[in-house]
This record gives sequence, C-alpha cells and structure tokens, in this order.
Amino acid sequence: MTRTALVRFSALTIALGCGWIAYTQAPPQGKDGKQQAKQANNKLNKVTDDLYEIEGDGGNVAVYLTNEGVIVVDDKFEYDFNDIMAKIKSVTNQPVKYVLNTHHHGDHTGSNAQFPPATELISTLNARKNMIEGKQSGAPRVTFTQETDVFLGGKHVQMRYFGRGHTNGDAMVYFPALRLIHAGDLMAGTSPLIDYAGGGSLKEWAATLDAAMKLDFDTVIPGHGPIAKKADMLTYRNNVEKLRTEITGIVRQKKSRDEIAKVVQDKYGWAPSGLQFQRGFDGMLAELAR
Amino acid sequence: MMSRTLFVRLFAGITVLGCAWIAYTQAPQGKDGKQAKQPNNTIQKVTDDLYAIIGDGGNSSVYITNEGVILVDDKFEYDGQDIIDKVKSVTNQPIKYVLNTHLHGDHTGSNVLFLPRAEVIATKMARDNMVKNNQPGVMRVTFTDETDIFLGGKEVRMKYYGRGHTNGDAVVYFPALRILASGDLGANNGPNVDFANGGSMKEWAQTLDGVLKLDFNTVIPGHGPVSPRQYLIDYRNVAAGIPTTVTSMVRQGKGKDEIAKVFTTNGGLWANPNVVNKLDQIMAELK
Repeated sequence: MTRTALVRFSALTIALGCGWIAYTQAPPQGKDGKQQAKQANNKLNKVTDDLYEIEGDGGNVAVYLTNEGVIVVDDKFEYDFNDIMAKIKSVTNQPVKYVLNTHHHGDHTGSNAQFPPATELISTLNARKNMIEGKQSGAPRVTFTQETDVFLGGKHVQMRYFGRGHTNGDAMVYFPALRLIHAGDLMAGTSPLIDYAGGGSLKEWAATLDAAMKLDFDTVIPGHGPIAKKADMLTYRNNVEKLRTEITGIVRQKKSRDEIAKVVQDKYGWAPSGLQFQRGFDGMLAELAR
Repeated sequence: MMSRTLFVRLFAGITVLGCAWIAYTQAPQGKDGKQAKQPNNTIQKVTDDLYAIIGDGGNSSVYITNEGVILVDDKFEYDGQDIIDKVKSVTNQPIKYVLNTHLHGDHTGSNVLFLPRAEVIATKMARDNMVKNNQPGVMRVTFTDETDIFLGGKEVRMKYYGRGHTNGDAVVYFPALRILASGDLGANNGPNVDFANGGSMKEWAQTLDGVLKLDFNTVIPGHGPVSPRQYLIDYRNVAAGIPTTVTSMVRQGKGKDEIAKVFTTNGGLWANPNVVNKLDQIMAELK
C-alpha cells in the first residue's frame, strides 16, 4: 500500500466513522450535530389566552390550559422534557393530564416515557404499533382508530385519524372552541416527508388533508414550522398533489432513478442527504409505479 | 256530574300511575325498592385473570394485569365500594381503567367514585346522552369507532358496531381470552330498546352481526349469567326476528293487540315484555 493510499484510506475510515457517530447520535443532537446536543432550545409562543405553542427542537408542541389540567400535543425529544415542563409551569400551575401524540416519531414522542403514570398518553393504534416495532419507549396505553375526544375542565379536544400520509397512523388534534388544529407532520415544512417504513403514502396524502379541511378551523399549528392558516394547508395539499402527479408521470416514462432524484432535488428541495429523500424516495417510486 | 264508579276508577288510575312513577324514578335503587342501598353482588372467576361481578345492575368484568385492573361497567353508585372490595379480594392492583358499555345508571353509577383515580372511557354518543340527561359521572375520554387499552402487557379492545339498546353501545373484547363483554346489546332474554337514547330495534341484529365477527367463545352479558357464544347468536336471531315479525303482521293488517300477543303468550324465545311495552315505538320505527 502506498503512502498516499494509506492516508486516503485512513481519511475515509475516519470520515465514515464520524459519519456513523453523527448518524447514530442524530436524533438527540439535533440537525446541526454540534456539541451540547442535549441542551433543549425552545421558545414558548402564546397563540390564544389558553393555548400556547412550544417551538424549537423537534416537532411543535401545543399546550392547552384548563382549570382541571393541561392537555399537551406532542413532546419533542427526550432531552426536551424538562424544558417543556418548565415552559408549561411558566404559564400555569395545572399538571399535565393528557399528552396526545400525532404520530410515532421520536421528535414528537421522545418525552413520553418521562411523564408520570397519572398522565394519560394517547395516540392512534397504528402509531403505537409503529412505536412498539421501533422499540421506542413510552408507548401510549390508550389508542384509537378514528376519533377520540378528551373533555377536561369544560374544554374539548378532538383527535382524529383521517387516513395515511406521513405515516399510517397520523392524527390531527382539533380545538373546536379555538378554531385551531395541530396538523402533526401531515403538514410540516414545504414538501412532504413520506415515511414508507412507517406506513406513509404519497398517493393518499392529499385525500387525508381534504378530509381534515372539512373541519371548521382558521389556524394551523404544523408539525414543524411557523403557525399557519387554513389556506396554507390547502397550498400544502396542492403541493403534495403536484409532487404525486409529476413523479407519477416521470415514473411511467421509465426515467432512471437518478433522473427522478434530480427532479425532486431541483423542484422540491429533497437533498440526497435529507430525510425526505432517504425515507421517502425509493418508497415513493415503488408506490407510484403500482 | 262525575259518577262514583268513574271517580273510583280515576282515583285508582292516578294511584297506579303515581306508584309507577315512584317505582320508575327509584329504579336505580333496585327492582324491589327495598333497602335499596345495600349492595348485593358476588365475584365469579371466569379465567385466571378475568372475573365477573354479578348481582346489582349490569354485570361488571374485572381484568387483572400487573400494572392495574381494567373494569368494565360499574353498576349503581351504591355498589362502588363493594366493587372495590370485591376487586381487592382477588388482586392488590388498583383500578386504572373503567370502560362503560353505555350510558345507563346501572352500568355507570359508580363513575363518580372512579373518575378521580381512574380513566373512564365510553363512546362519544354514550357521553352525549349522559350530558343530555344530566347524569353524574361523565367521563373525560371518549371514542367513536374503536379504542384499545394496553396495560401490563395485556390488551382490551372496545368497539362500537352500531345502534341497538342505545345509539352508543360498546362491546369490550379480551382477545387473549376470547371473551366478550357485550353490554346490553346482549342482556337477559331479549332486546330492550331505549328509544329516548337513540336505540333501534331495526338495526340491533345488524349491530350484533358486526360483533359476532369477533373471535370469542364466552360472553359476559350486560345482565344475566356468563354464557357461551351461542347465547349471542341466538340473541341476534331474536333481534332480527322481532322487526321481521312486527313488519309482516302490520302488512297483514294485524293490530297492535294482536302483535303484542306474539310477544306475550307462549312466545318462548319471543316472549319479551320490553317489546310489548315499547310496541308503539317499535312499530313507529319500522314504518
């Protein structure tokens, strides 16, 4: 082995090693993978007098205050638990009574295991199945298939399953009195992340959003990203449908994987290293070829 | 001027109605109205981890796990402490979940006792009816189609299959045991429709067709003894036979009295005072 080859090989080994460490540490360390990864970094936003949003790490959290306890939607990563609790404490003395998970991913269910047994965790049956399959901790004890309604302190929250999309177990959480909905990752970012391993579907995603939009609401807390309006959900839905139509057309033309990869990268911003591409691309080609 | 006979008859009529009213409004206190608040229940082992509490009101089922107990239905309010004692006689685990098969006070009466310490779950329609009727013990969590409870490695499935006894009847299925708690969709000897709370004679059999798709061998009925699956199959056939019989007799021009006779005298399977008492409403629904 020449000296150059050795250096190159060593460099490659180190790079791969670092890559592996970065990958395996990815969820707790956040997107940038920098040091102090376990420091929670969140902000509490007041949406209405009794509804707050916690944005920052992982998925957006909704905090609904009642005089009999707090209803929380999603709970970010494991290392966000203390920060979530501190943020809630800064606006109410009520305990967290319910945590509603929109789906199984660790950036929405990461703190589940840290809530005391008195807190009821609820998700769809499929989301729970995915958590069990993924050996995730904090699987909810209570699940539902179509709808569950939680009534606390004279307030009402409705959790609904409208069909497949991001996964096969996405729920939205509707606050009728506030005309507000937490959409989970059925609306997150600008272009959909289809988790095929988690039962997601691009084909069915738009119909799922159509069903959700039959509810009467003005405001949307998306799974990730800034608070939006109902019209933004329609835009998102149309973008999902545009992606499906365009890629279906190209798949039927028997274009190569690389050619299609270039289209989703250039037109939809799916970087080859990103989750949209890694979790969604090949599954999407397979689904749309059917 | 009112004749004496008429007066006597009127007086007797009012007395009977009055007594009926008292009996009706006191119904939660037990059929006989005597010493009403003394619970009278027995706990019966169905499997190693499932017990039935039978006596007052609707049957309760007790599913024991190493993380707590799942209870189906909780009888009258005065049975609450007795239910806790009976559960304590077979396990040290606390009652974590109470699943109500429907709204009626003989199945939800002890909710008030359990709400602070357990999660009480029912269908949304059952809750809506309880709110409408100003009943105590209204639950915080409801479902529409299916809810599954996972506790101590065990699973309980609660499902809504359609109208029958009310518009919000759930059945509770224990998959590992192949046992079903049927609520009052299968209770005593024949259907009793609560029309005021959305029940339906027309849809009852169809609802049981859905229930019977579940794989179970044993039924804990809403009222009456623990029974084999065949009990619910027979019950379904009775539930199907009532609307068919009533409809065909109406088409033959038979009057209410004649139809009532089928369900009164020597009816065997068909004898059902609830059908006789609610024949007007049943006929109205089948029109």
